[in-house]
Amino acid sequence: MDSRLGKSCMGAISPFPEQEGATPVLVEGRCSAWWPRSPTKPGAWHLKVACLLAGAALFLGGESSAAPPLSEQRCMICHGKHGFKKVDESGAVRLLWVDLALLKSSVHRNKTCTDCHHDVVEIPHKERPARVYCRRCHYKDNPAGAPSSDAYLEYERSVHGRALAAGETKAPVCQSCHGNHDILHTRNPKSRVARGQVAATCGRCHLEEYSQYRNSVHGRAVYELGVRDAPDCTGCHGEHSIMAVSDPGSRVGALNVARTCASCHGDEAIMARYGIEADQVETFEESFHGIGVRFGSKRVANCASCHGTHDIRPSDDPGSSVNPANIPRTCGKCHPGANPNYARGKIHINPKIREAGIVYWVATFFKYLTLVTIAALIMHILLDLWRRFKDRGAPA
Amino acid sequence: MRWKRSRKSEKEDRDLEKRLRKEVASELPPDLPPEVAARVRRRVEALIAEELAAAAQERAPRQLPQARGLEPQEETFQRFNLHFRIQHMILFTSVILLIVTGLPLKFPESPLGGLVWLLGGLDMSRILHRVGGSGLVVVGVYHVAYTLFHPDGRRDFWLLLPRPKDAFDAIQAIRFNLGLAGSKPRFDRFSYIEKFDYWAVYWGCVIMIGSGALLWFETLSLAYLPKFMLDIAKEAHSDEALLATLAIVIWHFYNVHFNPSRFPGSMTWWTGRISKHEMIEEHPLEYERIMAARKLLERNEDQARKKGSAAAGS
Repeated sequence: MDSRLGKSCMGAISPFPEQEGATPVLVEGRCSAWWPRSPTKPGAWHLKVACLLAGAALFLGGESSAAPPLSEQRCMICHGKHGFKKVDESGAVRLLWVDLALLKSSVHRNKTCTDCHHDVVEIPHKERPARVYCRRCHYKDNPAGAPSSDAYLEYERSVHGRALAAGETKAPVCQSCHGNHDILHTRNPKSRVARGQVAATCGRCHLEEYSQYRNSVHGRAVYELGVRDAPDCTGCHGEHSIMAVSDPGSRVGALNVARTCASCHGDEAIMARYGIEADQVETFEESFHGIGVRFGSKRVANCASCHGTHDIRPSDDPGSSVNPANIPRTCGKCHPGANPNYARGKIHINPKIREAGIVYWVATFFKYLTLVTIAALIMHILLDLWRRFKDRGAPA
Repeated sequence: MRWKRSRKSEKEDRDLEKRLRKEVASELPPDLPPEVAARVRRRVEALIAEELAAAAQERAPRQLPQARGLEPQEETFQRFNLHFRIQHMILFTSVILLIVTGLPLKFPESPLGGLVWLLGGLDMSRILHRVGGSGLVVVGVYHVAYTLFHPDGRRDFWLLLPRPKDAFDAIQAIRFNLGLAGSKPRFDRFSYIEKFDYWAVYWGCVIMIGSGALLWFETLSLAYLPKFMLDIAKEAHSDEALLATLAIVIWHFYNVHFNPSRFPGSMTWWTGRISKHEMIEEHPLEYERIMAARKLLERNEDQARKKGSAAAGS
């Protein structure tokens, strides 16, 4: 029996190991039932039988096969050496030096090597340790003292988690964004996922989007002006729950992006700080475009259709898609033959305010016309009814 | 056919006939020999009588099937001919369609927004709104043609034109309702209330069709007009829609269906006819005109009969 059996996997041991038939063991230190790379999905009765077997195996063999934890000093005998490396079968060189100081300054400063690399039970270890599986500690109400969060469940449903489950080798896992030994708290400005850093982290894969964003009004606000309210990637896309833009749950999907933009652009307090009009959201919602979005049209223009996505620029920037000079081209994406007439008049027009010009006066005219007319008609009706009821009792 | 008349209405008829005869006589040149004048007078009277006979035929009581054993019905008068009833039916079908597909877009956050889903989603709603809009255009064209080319249309249009009397009538109606005037205003074929309804629809159609067409063909509109013209069109379309809806639901429905003398509703939109009672009550001037015409017609028939019998006797 595998000596690693009995290693904690929060008590849930995979009943369907990849290599060892029906015997319920941990494989390479991870739960294959949870680990998305596992191709097998346990059925309900299989799971029950397997859990019983697993319990029995733990009871019988757990005690004797548990190895004492290895101290990090022993690991550092090899991994502490600068230039410690290995050349694998494909000829690739793997640097195996670990800067212990990095670990000691990270959020995991109190952890030892085997807390994460728990499949290393003897030294020197013969096999390459499996990829560290963060969920061993990072789950809601965990006893290990890690932040209590369901982030990994969100990740599983995200575009990245799904890509990983589908066997995409380049799909990012926790470490891809958060780092390895050097993980810092999100609020630490040097953290890879901190404000001002996360865009570069995402940009390691999403290079084109990153470079567009970096020169956009939001990117420049974050990087050049240090504006705390300006969004970086996660501000719009979300964090662990990033969805494909085609997913109905995506925060930046056609039907949701207006709400996402509105979380800042509909907030008068935030917008007032930067002298931006806060009624853009309301005016959009009242426009034909906004009404189309409300009633589920994906064809109709949303914020991003006109303003762009990663490359949003202020309208006075000649490179902006909503610069008056570019309006014909931008509108022309949907309205064939769009011409400069499309730029003659405010797009986000609010007829309720005087700045709307003639549209305000038309709206005001109709407002009073309606009020006066309907009031007069109702008065006339009430007067008529009053007379009729008064006459009812009287002789004809 | 004979009509029973009260002493009073007989006297009114006689007066009206006298007046008409005087008018015919006064328009003849005074230097005409008396026998020629008499001949012309007879010819004109015969022509008027002929025309009035046709009108009276139209207003004759409807023949109800005797087999159903119904009591003899009160005389009814035609108020709307078939053309007008069809126009009205196209109009209200279109308007109902326009309201149920349009109001949810004006108040998308209110429960009215649910109507869009009820009607099969936004795309279906848009199609239905355009069907309604087309109906409004059709009825507009139909009505203009009817006004121009149909004698009833021409007559009604003339009678629908606002006159100073309408303002006085409105004031008198309000004064009467307040108890300040002794009698109700006496209306002709169209009261000021009905004239208001008619011209409100006229104004509404001009605004709604005009602005609606700009918004429907927005690519074409924007080829020639700046964007703020479409903003104006949208604002006017949306605001006038609300005004029209309120006017129909409050004013029109009260005056034709829900007021105590009509409740729970009038069927005139379907039959085109109103009762003699309603006629006397609500359109006394028109009623008097019709009665005078009938009187004249009868007299002419009598004269012709007398002449015929005199000729046979000689």
